[in-house]
Amino acid sequence: MKDWASTAKAAGLDIPAQDISRIVPTLNSLDEAFRPLAESLTPEMEPAAVFRADEEQA
Amino acid sequence: MTIREAAESLRRRRFSALELTTAALGRIERFNPTLRAFLTVTAEQALQQARQADADLAAGNDRGPLHGIPIAVKDIFCTRGVRTTAGSPIYRDFVPDHDAFAVARLEHAGAVMLGKLNMHELAYGITSANPHFGAVRNPWNSKHSPGGSSGGSGAAVAAGLAYAALGTDTGGSIRIPASFCGTVGLKPTYGRVSRRGVMPLSWSLDHVGPLTSSVRDAGLLLNAIAGHDPADSSSSRHPVVDFVPDEDCPVRGLRIGFPENFFFERVDSDVELSVRGSIARLESLGATIKPVTVPDISAMNATGRVILLCEASAVLQPYLENRGQFGPDVLALLDQGRLLPATDYIHAQRLRRRMQREFARIWSSVDCLIAPTTPLTAPRTGDTTVKLAGREEDVRLAATRLVRSINLLGLPALSIPCGLNGDGLPVGLQIIGPAFQEALILRVGAAMEDGGVGIPPCPMA
Repeated sequence: MKDWASTAKAAGLDIPAQDISRIVPTLNSLDEAFRPLAESLTPEMEPAAVFRADEEQA
Repeated sequence: MTIREAAESLRRRRFSALELTTAALGRIERFNPTLRAFLTVTAEQALQQARQADADLAAGNDRGPLHGIPIAVKDIFCTRGVRTTAGSPIYRDFVPDHDAFAVARLEHAGAVMLGKLNMHELAYGITSANPHFGAVRNPWNSKHSPGGSSGGSGAAVAAGLAYAALGTDTGGSIRIPASFCGTVGLKPTYGRVSRRGVMPLSWSLDHVGPLTSSVRDAGLLLNAIAGHDPADSSSSRHPVVDFVPDEDCPVRGLRIGFPENFFFERVDSDVELSVRGSIARLESLGATIKPVTVPDISAMNATGRVILLCEASAVLQPYLENRGQFGPDVLALLDQGRLLPATDYIHAQRLRRRMQREFARIWSSVDCLIAPTTPLTAPRTGDTTVKLAGREEDVRLAATRLVRSINLLGLPALSIPCGLNGDGLPVGLQIIGPAFQEALILRVGAAMEDGGVGIPPCPMA
């Protein structure tokens, strides 16, 4: 399991320790479900983000 | 009374738009102190619009079926000159100088705007127990939640305070209150309705749609608000059709997918009974019910949650220095989003594309899917967990379990009421279709409604 408190500290996030403790179980269960999915990706799979080079500039 | 019935009566001069609006304002005055559905009532503006609607009709300037119909919008839609809070103290004094695209479209169609509807704080939750503006109550039983985040929209339509309402749906926020309040709720395809002027929660998951008291009314609303908007980068140029189903809308020959996996697992027994009964009714109307196996919806839910957490935290990051202005549930979600790495967000958007392709294969064997909207009926306000099939579950995760994946896929989904549980609370089912096939799912919904699938009017209505 990840050390979420250290992650927060490394990112410079000012999240009180008790608030981190409260969300750790949820983050762990999400990470447990998501990690195998992320690891199943192959390099040719591109994100579903949208960028159009011909988009009109404001 | 539906919009179609009210529109007919307006044209037959059985009553005027002013009388219709005055009656709606009277109901708001009477019931809103209990329901807390409205945050702002624009009574003077509504009466003025109603008088204008009557004058226009008398002069032969008929703007169509929404002309003179009193409606309301979730307080996340920008409204020119009218405070727009998104249910948060961050925007307590925000008065936009413009209307959201959908609001402008409705006003252009002649609708009368009654005001702005309460919601879950920042649209980031499903209870609508707003810690800053008060908890919205369910008109079927005021001790229960109306769902959310468009809880005020669901409560207002169910209680007959408005003939229709606009909501937004990022992970079920139209369909959940529709299910809990016994209304119709339509989440159109991503890109079908412009998001311009809607305060964002998650750019790639936010959808705009109507809550109404009938399926055909939902079609009427979609007719007014659908269409391309060059100012919204996600807005589609897909052709807009007439979304209102015909009076005789046959379903014979349609292939209705019945998910054999996931959607009926850990579902309340009353919910399962009502949905299965409704599917049987649809079969008796001539539709072909085909069992199907759907791709891994749990994986889609995890992927959708990663995207939502990351995008919402990015949207609201500027305000996070003052943590005290967020409710505890919203703050917890914002903190979670800040702790996820950027690579997870990108991976989630990559998975999303793969899942979209995998799910689309279903449409070669069925025309649409039917499933419960929520695995439970409205929980009591304040309940944080629910027990389903012997397993204790977080209420938010349970309520979004059957709807969140459809936001990830961007597909249209229509929730309709299909029964009451033993405590007299509504049960909803959802009809999910291929992208931009709103007309199809509305047709199936209308056929079910015509065929007797539904619930009695809310006692408060």
